[in-house]
Amino acid sequence: MNFSSKLIEEAVNAFASLPSIGKKTALRLVLHLINQDKEVTGQFAEAIVKMREHIKHCEICHNISDLAVCEICSDARRDRSVVCVVEGIRDVMAIEDTSQFRGLYHVLGGVISPIEGIGPSDLYIDALMQRIQKGEIKEVIMAISPTIEGDTTIFYLSKKLKDMKVKVSTIARGVSFGGELEYADELTLGRSIVARVPYRINE
Amino acid sequence: MTTKIINQKKSLFLNLEKLILTNFKNYTSERVNFSPTLNAIVGKNGMGKTNLLDAIYYLCMSKSNFSGNDRNVVQKTHDFFRLEGQFKRKEKKEKIVVKVIPGKQKIIERNGTAYSKLADHIGLFPVVIIAPDDTSLVTEGSEARRRFLDNTLSQSDPNYLTQLMRYNKVIRQRNAALKNMAIQHRFNATLIKTYDQQLLEPAALIFEKRKSFLEKIDPIFNEFYQKIAAHQETVQFNYKSKLIENSLEELLEENLEKDRILQRTTAGIHKDDLAFHLDNSPLKQFASQGQIKSFVLALKLAQFDFLKKIKNTSPILLLDDIFDKLDSSRVKQLLDLLLKNDFGQIFITDTHETRVEEIVKDLKIGYKKMEIKDGQCID
Repeated sequence: MNFSSKLIEEAVNAFASLPSIGKKTALRLVLHLINQDKEVTGQFAEAIVKMREHIKHCEICHNISDLAVCEICSDARRDRSVVCVVEGIRDVMAIEDTSQFRGLYHVLGGVISPIEGIGPSDLYIDALMQRIQKGEIKEVIMAISPTIEGDTTIFYLSKKLKDMKVKVSTIARGVSFGGELEYADELTLGRSIVARVPYRINE
Repeated sequence: MTTKIINQKKSLFLNLEKLILTNFKNYTSERVNFSPTLNAIVGKNGMGKTNLLDAIYYLCMSKSNFSGNDRNVVQKTHDFFRLEGQFKRKEKKEKIVVKVIPGKQKIIERNGTAYSKLADHIGLFPVVIIAPDDTSLVTEGSEARRRFLDNTLSQSDPNYLTQLMRYNKVIRQRNAALKNMAIQHRFNATLIKTYDQQLLEPAALIFEKRKSFLEKIDPIFNEFYQKIAAHQETVQFNYKSKLIENSLEELLEENLEKDRILQRTTAGIHKDDLAFHLDNSPLKQFASQGQIKSFVLALKLAQFDFLKKIKNTSPILLLDDIFDKLDSSRVKQLLDLLLKNDFGQIFITDTHETRVEEIVKDLKIGYKKMEIKDGQCID
């Protein structure tokens, strides 16, 4: 792509360095900004710089946060006896969107994968142990992807938690809502049959 | 008794009707039509007879039988290859298309829809290839023999392939963990134990499947050998796995110190092997070239028979340079045996122009001869 202006070229390259944005989309965004008031661009740039400058990781759960302790951890209405262990902050957002969970979170920062150089000490596992040792937590829910590395992480954590007085559970795995059985993959369907649940009639 | 070898139940037919090759090895652009029964592919050495068989194999197994790297499959000076196979399977037409850009992408489509996992394709179009380099089963290391087991069982049982991939992935993670721990001088026993636990389930399943497969093919294998070799010697194979005597849990524990030093997992089903014997002596040291050839041929035919029974479909049979293994009269006897028993679609390559024809003449079956010259097919 040829640019008539060095300034535009630099701005396009900056946008294009972001995930899922190609050169053409980047150019469209840049041209859009040129047509806006200067103020708009100023606010836009300021929002990004401010965000990057002040964003923190929560001291307790390692979720992303504006303050030293995040909104979830500092919310007195939440159930402090249940902790949901997740890989990353996007999982926190996904579970929050369900409005089905009123406990606290613990973000590990990934899953154990020695091939990629990630061992247990590279994750916030010790921090989780310390939280549990304080005694307030009664149940740990593992909400980790059902991949081989996810399974390793769940296995590993359960071993570490064995001697602590907490209940360990994992989120259910099975056929998705609105899905049809014949289209479920064999592994999922097989697991769903093995790990079936008693049927309750709500009266 | 041939009736004992192949069950009489009419199996569902699988055959390749048409093959279209683009930039595949020495084929730039070629279309070939096949007979549903016997296809004789003749031509001089280096003309592309084996490549044609490999194209059929690729459509069924999503990889080449001869080269692990697709860069060696694509025609030189081109950056992609494409294969299209028009099959008939369970009385329905099926179109399989393979599109590969080496190092970039491999797409396999079944009736216009691309697979999200290539593993889902394996086993739908069963295939057995018999080629001169099969003797590597005897002469080479244990990896060749495990590949034989995995090739058969992946085709017969989709869960086998899933579990094998799972097992291999955990082994790679465990080995990486051992290596990282050695570099950092910090051993984490809990993590290694975690991997051990994760290996148990897939290992147990793979072990059971391998064992049961070998038990099932044992009698057929012997019958085939007697027929092909017409010798009086007895042949046998034994499954060699440490899991026969110990549980994997014990083995991993016993070998932990060794694993830590070598920084890799030294025991498990990834070390399984087969021991081949001729009259109770190791085959490799005591058998003649001819006996080794007959042995691997019988083994491959037993594989064919096993897949046929499990799938209730005759796999496509690719016989590459079969005359290298057997003389004309034996090939005749073999074809007689194969064709009389509902053997499905067969492809034979030969350098001799009329040899297959002469053999087939008395058998009264449908047959097509095609000549291959420099990557082109002359009907």
